[in-house]
Amino acid sequence: MRLEDLTDMQIDALREVGSIGAGHAATALSQLVDHRIDLEVPQLEMLPIGSVPDVFGGPETLVGAVYDRMLGDLGGGLLFVAPRDSSLALVDLMRNRPVGTAKSFGAEEEATITHVASILASSYIASIARLADLNILPARPSFALDMAGAILQVVTAEIGMRAENALLLRTRFFNDETTVDAYMFFLPDPDGLDVLLGRLGVV
Amino acid sequence: MVRNDISYLGNADRHVTVGVGDVATATYPGILTTQALGSCVGIALWDPSRQAGGMAHVMLPSSEDTRMGGKLQRFATHAVPELVAMLEAEGSSHRRLVAKIAGGAAMFKGDSMLAGIGSRNIEEVRRQLHLAGVRLRAEDTGGDFARTIELHLDTGILLVRSYQYGIREI
Repeated sequence: MRLEDLTDMQIDALREVGSIGAGHAATALSQLVDHRIDLEVPQLEMLPIGSVPDVFGGPETLVGAVYDRMLGDLGGGLLFVAPRDSSLALVDLMRNRPVGTAKSFGAEEEATITHVASILASSYIASIARLADLNILPARPSFALDMAGAILQVVTAEIGMRAENALLLRTRFFNDETTVDAYMFFLPDPDGLDVLLGRLGVV
Repeated sequence: MVRNDISYLGNADRHVTVGVGDVATATYPGILTTQALGSCVGIALWDPSRQAGGMAHVMLPSSEDTRMGGKLQRFATHAVPELVAMLEAEGSSHRRLVAKIAGGAAMFKGDSMLAGIGSRNIEEVRRQLHLAGVRLRAEDTGGDFARTIELHLDTGILLVRSYQYGIREI
């Protein structure tokens, strides 16, 4: 089964999984930094993988990305992407500082983004695992700051999903002063998606 | 303020862009280009006597590396022979062709499976070029950063652009 074979009902099931995951992530992130961080319930979109880099302004656009491979009953992974400036703004949001304070990507900024993305990915994975009664764990997250096209292509090459669709969860981080938009791509391998949808009882 | 792109040096209308997993040929004044090579390998073939050339954007070493269907040109095993055949059909002998390659990076070092794809692509491309009897003259491969390449068909220069190093020529 490919992602574009999903029915509206199946997409709603995944949307539910996503919103529960986002809720957990907001709680975890707020506890982590000891000030409130809200996450907007993500919109679920499906778009051709080839046009994903255009969401960011083209294949050469500089983006920060964190890849969390899934281990266990579901193969594939979750890819967190935010353009460079948004990534720095997210670091400022996490640190409760005005946007523009973080000016360049050093080890500390890389670590913050990796941590935030990995908490978000783990929350989504945990909510999928619980609702579908599957055993899934995230592997160690990996970070990259580079061209959007190259990052997308690396994580999809081995899944071979060149002509297929990607499931995108737009995630908005915000507090009273700041809003930052980031993108989480759900890239299960096709066998895993069959298992998942079967377990969600909608197949 | 940091600019969030690396600009083309003009000549945008002369660009013949090769998409991911595609192959294409062109003659001067066309400029063959392919963007955002991560673990992919970009292959540039140049025929100095015709000021013509070809380019491929290879994703995987061979069709054994994936169960999914799709275009065959994204595999090194298909792209190289096909590109050479296209150029020979246009009048370029494989003996005159000069190859330059770029890419095959390990973009996500922390993930061991992803980190290996780039170097496997480079190996297979080198092997396929050797099997096709085409000389590999230069390469900018490996590392952990993405590259965009442009092949200039009058000089045979391959421009390699990256956020890491700006613009290099090989």
